[in-house]
Amino acid sequence: MMSAGNDIVSLNAINAARTKQYKFYSKILSESENPLYKEFSSAGIPFENFVWLLWSIKESAYKYLQRNNPDVIFTPVKFVVKQLQLPANYIITNFDSQQIEENGFNTILAIAGIVTYGQYTFHSRSLLYNNLIHSVVNNSENFQDNYWGIKLIADNDSEHQSKEVRSFLLERLQRLFKTNDFSISKSQSGLPILLKGTDETTLPVSLTHHEHFVAYSFHTTINI
Amino acid sequence: MTRQEILDELKKVIAPYTTNKEMLAGIDDHTDLIKDLKINSANLVDVIIDAEAKYDIEIDYDSADKMVNVGTCIDVISEKLNQKV
Repeated sequence: MMSAGNDIVSLNAINAARTKQYKFYSKILSESENPLYKEFSSAGIPFENFVWLLWSIKESAYKYLQRNNPDVIFTPVKFVVKQLQLPANYIITNFDSQQIEENGFNTILAIAGIVTYGQYTFHSRSLLYNNLIHSVVNNSENFQDNYWGIKLIADNDSEHQSKEVRSFLLERLQRLFKTNDFSISKSQSGLPILLKGTDETTLPVSLTHHEHFVAYSFHTTINI
Repeated sequence: MTRQEILDELKKVIAPYTTNKEMLAGIDDHTDLIKDLKINSANLVDVIIDAEAKYDIEIDYDSADKMVNVGTCIDVISEKLNQKV
């Protein structure tokens, strides 16, 4: 069954010194994932950013899984990143646009990954900037039907984040489906549900926010 | 430590990670860390590590899994404190 999962981490908001401490990162990384850092280390990517990259992949996979398995609990070490491919000459810049929106990752270079949870396997695509990490998870390698967006917002209080991320997603959906009767509700387990009028749709959406960044992802096979 | 004593200390552990100070003052067993206190999931590891330091306990993955609301946090901390004795 189709689902959606994305996660954003504002790197200005993380505690780098703390992330590098074993007692902290060992609650996120499992032993088998440590060797994946080698390639990132060679590319000059700080260890703390690597830890939060894995966090964002794992949290995205958890969200993807949770939609059809509401009882799953997010234990980061139980989501295991098996592969991570940093594109050659990956240049890390600041995210300094107001917002970006895309479908798939054909026009933007992303870090490709594979993450597992028990018998489940997911594919991930992550964007790494100096100031943020954004990951999107899918059940296949083809991300063309995965629509996503990242936006910088002015105010980081939780009410504002929640409002901004919803309107950011709804505007994209309204443009795509040429209708304005979409709204977002929440399931009993706290997952976002897309409504058309008063009816629940089957289109899976995922929302995320951290400090001054909000992002969404959703999956649809609509032909535009 | 009584549940009330753990709760009083727990408020101090959680305080840096929530902006909802009004809700924090009135938390009870049913208060959800993410849904009610609006703690960003990226800070959940901080809460666990700060709780470990505060009570001088170690919280394993399976116990950390249970710490979704204030009541279950107190359950886990209380259980770990009892294991120390």
